[in-house]
Amino acid sequence: MFDFPIFEMPTIGLRMLMAINAIIHVFVSHGGAVGGSVVLALAAWWTNKKGDLAGYETVYRLLMVFFIISTSVGALTGIGMWIHANIISPNAIGGLIRVFFWKWFIEWIVFNFEVILLLFWFMTWKPKATTAQGRASSVRFGIYYAVSSWITMLIITAILGFMLTPNFDGQPWIDPEVYPGTVNYNNALFNPTWFPGLMMRTFSSIAFAGALAILWTWLITSFSKDEEIRATKERMIKFFATIMMVTVPVAAAFGYYYLLQIPEAARAMIPTAMMTRAFADKMDLMYMIISGIGGAVVVTTIIAYFSPKRFPYIAATLMVAAFMLFWGFEERTREFIRKPYLIYNYMYANGIRVTDVPYLNKVGILKHAVFVDEDKKVLKEDKSNLIEVGHTIAQIECRACHTENGINGLKFLTKGWSEEAIRNRINNLPGAGTPYMPPFTGTEAEKDALAAYIASLNKRGEIK
Amino acid sequence: MNWKLPFDIPLVVPTMGLPGWFFDTLGIIVFVVHIAFIYTLIGASTASVLYNIFGVFKKSKTNNLLAYKMTNPTTISENMGALWGVAPLLVISVLYTGFFYTAILKVSPHILHIIYGNIFAFLLSYAYKFSWHSLHNHKGFHIAIGLVAVLTFYTLPPVFMSMSNLYLQPELFASVQNIWDIMLTPLTFFRLINFFLTAFAFTGIVMIYLGVKWVKAGGEETEVGRLAIDQGKKWFMWAAPVNIAVLPLVFFAFSPRISEAYIHTPFVFLPFAASAVLLILFFFLLKRFSNEEMSLSDATKAVVLMVVAVALMATARHGIRVVSFEEPLQLQAEATEKYMTDVIAEYKAYKEEMKNAPQVVLDPAVSLADSKGCLACHSVDVALVGPAYKEVAAKAESADILAASLKNGSTGKWGETPMPPQTLTDEETKTLIEWVLKQK
Ligand code: HEC
Ligand code: HEC
Repeated sequence: MFDFPIFEMPTIGLRMLMAINAIIHVFVSHGGAVGGSVVLALAAWWTNKKGDLAGYETVYRLLMVFFIISTSVGALTGIGMWIHANIISPNAIGGLIRVFFWKWFIEWIVFNFEVILLLFWFMTWKPKATTAQGRASSVRFGIYYAVSSWITMLIITAILGFMLTPNFDGQPWIDPEVYPGTVNYNNALFNPTWFPGLMMRTFSSIAFAGALAILWTWLITSFSKDEEIRATKERMIKFFATIMMVTVPVAAAFGYYYLLQIPEAARAMIPTAMMTRAFADKMDLMYMIISGIGGAVVVTTIIAYFSPKRFPYIAATLMVAAFMLFWGFEERTREFIRKPYLIYNYMYANGIRVTDVPYLNKVGILKHAVFVDEDKKVLKEDKSNLIEVGHTIAQIECRACHTENGINGLKFLTKGWSEEAIRNRINNLPGAGTPYMPPFTGTEAEKDALAAYIASLNKRGEIK
Repeated sequence: MNWKLPFDIPLVVPTMGLPGWFFDTLGIIVFVVHIAFIYTLIGASTASVLYNIFGVFKKSKTNNLLAYKMTNPTTISENMGALWGVAPLLVISVLYTGFFYTAILKVSPHILHIIYGNIFAFLLSYAYKFSWHSLHNHKGFHIAIGLVAVLTFYTLPPVFMSMSNLYLQPELFASVQNIWDIMLTPLTFFRLINFFLTAFAFTGIVMIYLGVKWVKAGGEETEVGRLAIDQGKKWFMWAAPVNIAVLPLVFFAFSPRISEAYIHTPFVFLPFAASAVLLILFFFLLKRFSNEEMSLSDATKAVVLMVVAVALMATARHGIRVVSFEEPLQLQAEATEKYMTDVIAEYKAYKEEMKNAPQVVLDPAVSLADSKGCLACHSVDVALVGPAYKEVAAKAESADILAASLKNGSTGKWGETPMPPQTLTDEETKTLIEWVLKQK
């Protein structure tokens, strides 16, 4: 909303700040925790069953890498998602926490199991590795860990499903015509995208973890001083490539099924979501990029499978990079499709509630901006602070998606526009090919100030 | 008082009918678990580096082994501490949403240090732990890694404590503009001293407990177990006395409104009670000071006493919340009520008006222009990026010329800025151009 202190992130913008954290988190939590747990538990089971002790030791070294990255980067960026959301949209996250508190609490409890099992599996691996009995028990813990991290993901995707269909039952200040209080959670959970989405995530996570495992096996075994460890390279890479051979096609099939289930309107926004509006009409380009990424993954998997010995690090890196790109797109798209709302039909992306708009259009958006200094929100008689006032409005309403002159900067978007043109555009932000923007909220005088501010961005520092 | 408070989130708190004390207790318990891990993290990581250094200078294998063994509690407590930090924040942010988020925003972006700084410290502490054997001939370098990790961990409490101190004192929302305004205050100073001293005292007790376990395991662990017991006692007995003095002072360093009200509540006895428990534990250990070993039951008693002291401190801190938030919560609720009532009245009036307003039938050509993105650059009346359709119509060129402009793009006719070629079917082009030419 508009009554919290304003924090603005220069240049990269708030969305990018959040996106960096989110994307790192998704890579690590899917690739490291969900996929990694399955792949490594399988590898531990397989090497132990074959009596391949050197291979078993290689798996431990891989686990160490996955452990280090997922408990530090993975866990903290998970908390980071929340802290970033606090900073960017306190109103939205505050509202969501009121609605979803217990579900998040349950998620946190399940997460405890995951962390404790991982700590236990990793920290007792070495002492248990000396006896056959110990190894068998260790492998069992690996499997428990894999199951628990998959369940965590299951619950998280269910909660994401809920978040798209919030329930405002019994709330005092909502519009009963929009939220009649008849939300059926079963419908929300078992909506058509839930199952294919979950399956796509599961199998692509396993495939991604397979790719990561190949990369790290290559690094660990190539640089090991231990002859026996070096000798495991070929068979371990082949093992992980086998996992990929199975999971990549399955993930692709579910991915296609998922795409078919997304509503038409949302699908049309995907190209813009992934890149910028410049690509809105270039569906074919998008398909080419996706097939390129997919092709890279398939080709490198086949090389790894048939020629594990020669599998070069370039192929391994390419494979991991392809997955990263793919998920980066996926995350961005998922976040974007909801626009212009943060909470469907309840709150816009900039934190303004739908029900607040008529009132704020009357009294002005700045009236309740408690933390803004007077001279930045009350227009002086001589209008000398017009631009500052406009700046405040932009900070409140546009900051969630735009910067001044960095990423998605208002300066570049309006280059060459007259102040008149800008003002006209503000009249109709969600129209004209940008349905993801919320409408302008505020009085006519505030609209003038905002237009003056945006126009001033391109006039600054001009040599006269 | 010059209150600057945000509105509350206009959604009810999801208590599921549970009473207030349930959430208070839940908040205190999850906080105690969290802070116990954090104390251990700070202390154990410090201890590991310290005994590593001793090991080098005293050429003592036992010191080196103790240092190595202390990396395990470090790993466990950094993971569990981070995880259990989420729970108290979850409880606080649902109960005191407005105050918590305001404080977080006021100390941004520095608050992000608790994410990124923490990741950095985590990674270094793993590097320190897992390079123990491979770097044993490069002790200087190895110790440097550990030291940087520890010092980075030390930078986290000041940041977090600043946020917490701001959120506990909503009267400061009007005056505090950034993190330094709140970090450089006596309150943060006192609370940090209290925090670090408690961390070291707590770690002393953890070392005693682990030492007793190691002695019990016997064999080569006996020696290191004895060292841990001996050092653990010293850690506690050095840190606790200062803490006993500082602890009650903390609660009088809050803003006058809070400290004065606090004195008149029973909570005021809790800091003294915590000090008293620490004192008892002090004498308990003093009596066993010269014993090389300790029984498991004595070690357990020490742990219990320490946890009781921490729980008392946490409850005393909860008392600050109770005292401090009463008035602002009330003010906030009133303001929110008034604001939302106005909002809903206006919203209903608006909906009513919309219902009675005559239905505007949109020209299909307008929606087509909208969906094709023409209106991003054009409007009917004024020039945006491209010319106003009114002017295009006024110029009245033939439909074919305009169609060609759309198909191939156009530049130089209206200005420098080009129009890129538009992807349209012939049918669509025709509709749009007919419509444009009508806009005189
Ligand atoms: C939900 C995020 C969001 C919010 C909030 C938002 N915008 Fe946008 N806006 C966008 C996106 C995305 C684009 C498209 C950028 C592109 O073309 O790549 C855009 C484009 C624009 C453009 C250029 C449009 C054109 O025709 O080329 C202007 C001007 C603009 N926004 C102004 C504003 C103003 C003023 C506000 C605040 C009142 C605002 N926006 C709020 C997301 C947002
Ligand atoms: C990227 C911005 C942009 C978009 C999108 C855009 N136009 Fe244009 N349009 C322009 C510019 C700039 C000119 C002036 C070109 C010139 O000076 O030759 C122009 C010129 C025109 C003209 C006059 C051409 C002439 O030959 O005089 C027409 C008609 C027109 N646009 C219609 C449309 C329609 C219909 C659409 C949607 C399908 C559209 N425009 C989309 C920027 C745009």
